[in-house]
Amino acid sequence: MAEEEDDPGFDEDLDDGGNGVDSGQGKRKRLFSKELRCMMYGFGDDQNPYTESVDILEDLVIEFITEMTHRAMSIGRQGRVQVEDIVFLIRKDPRKFARVKDLLTMNEELKKARKAFDEANYGS
Amino acid sequence: MADPARVKPVVGVSEAPAERPTQSEGSRDAPGSSGKVSEPAAVQSTTREQGKAVSPSRSAEEAAAAGEEEDGSSSLHPPPAKKLKVEHDKKKEKRHKVDEDEIQKMQVLVSSFSEEQLNRYEMYRRAAFPKAAIKRLIQSITGSSVSQNVVIAMSGIAKVFAGEIVEEALDVCEKWGDTPPLQPKHMREAVRRLKSREQVPNTKHKKILFH
Repeated sequence: MAEEEDDPGFDEDLDDGGNGVDSGQGKRKRLFSKELRCMMYGFGDDQNPYTESVDILEDLVIEFITEMTHRAMSIGRQGRVQVEDIVFLIRKDPRKFARVKDLLTMNEELKKARKAFDEANYGS
Repeated sequence: MADPARVKPVVGVSEAPAERPTQSEGSRDAPGSSGKVSEPAAVQSTTREQGKAVSPSRSAEEAAAAGEEEDGSSSLHPPPAKKLKVEHDKKKEKRHKVDEDEIQKMQVLVSSFSEEQLNRYEMYRRAAFPKAAIKRLIQSITGSSVSQNVVIAMSGIAKVFAGEIVEEALDVCEKWGDTPPLQPKHMREAVRRLKSREQVPNTKHKKILFH
């Protein structure tokens, strides 16, 4: 599959949002346009980022997720994606590793809190 | 192991830790590495809080050291378990204090933000990938269903990844003397740089040794 970075005509010729024309990734609808715009602003970009930049970032994120999923399927239990596999793949990258640990810990705490809350309600 | 940062805040007790750790390190062999890991954390916490949290952790350490010396002579079975448990409690305590410290610092920082900074910070915290779309994407690749934790982990990592790219692109943009709305050329250069640092996973290109 051709990578967007190598395709020369991708950005220069594209004037509209890149929806109708074959924009290098096939005719896939844009999945994360709104969220990515907010995210780019949060990370330091302008309040209205360029649509082409958002498109590039979306393609990169989808490629990243696809790559991680394939790798996770090939290690541990084959054919399945499990959290342990993701944590193993991420082990060398300190930022992502810390983030995953935090997220999973917080999720556990929230689940426990919700359960305790529900039990308290059930009792009374 | 004399820690100058540790000797400063509490003067009366300073001799005891200097002696005890050297003796206890001699008796420890397996948990020796974990003992060394907790030392730097102790130094950090003491330099940050001048004596506030030092006394509880210090007394716990002394109790541990005292316990070791007593039990080490009688039997070998209780000491390792006790050592590990006390070390774990010490680490938890230090981590808790470090978290509180960090939370306080964040509060001070956020309270001094301008309105534009507050907006940006709010977007930074709130923006997230929709779980349904991520789940659909992963399931279309694996062909089987995935658990909720996988979706949570994957969307979290994807956000960090997007952040790395945007930050690198902003560096490139600044270096090339351009202004903020990021252009595709900045993004592509950022990806190229991250690839050379192996932060962008890519298994499409087969590396041939000795090509």
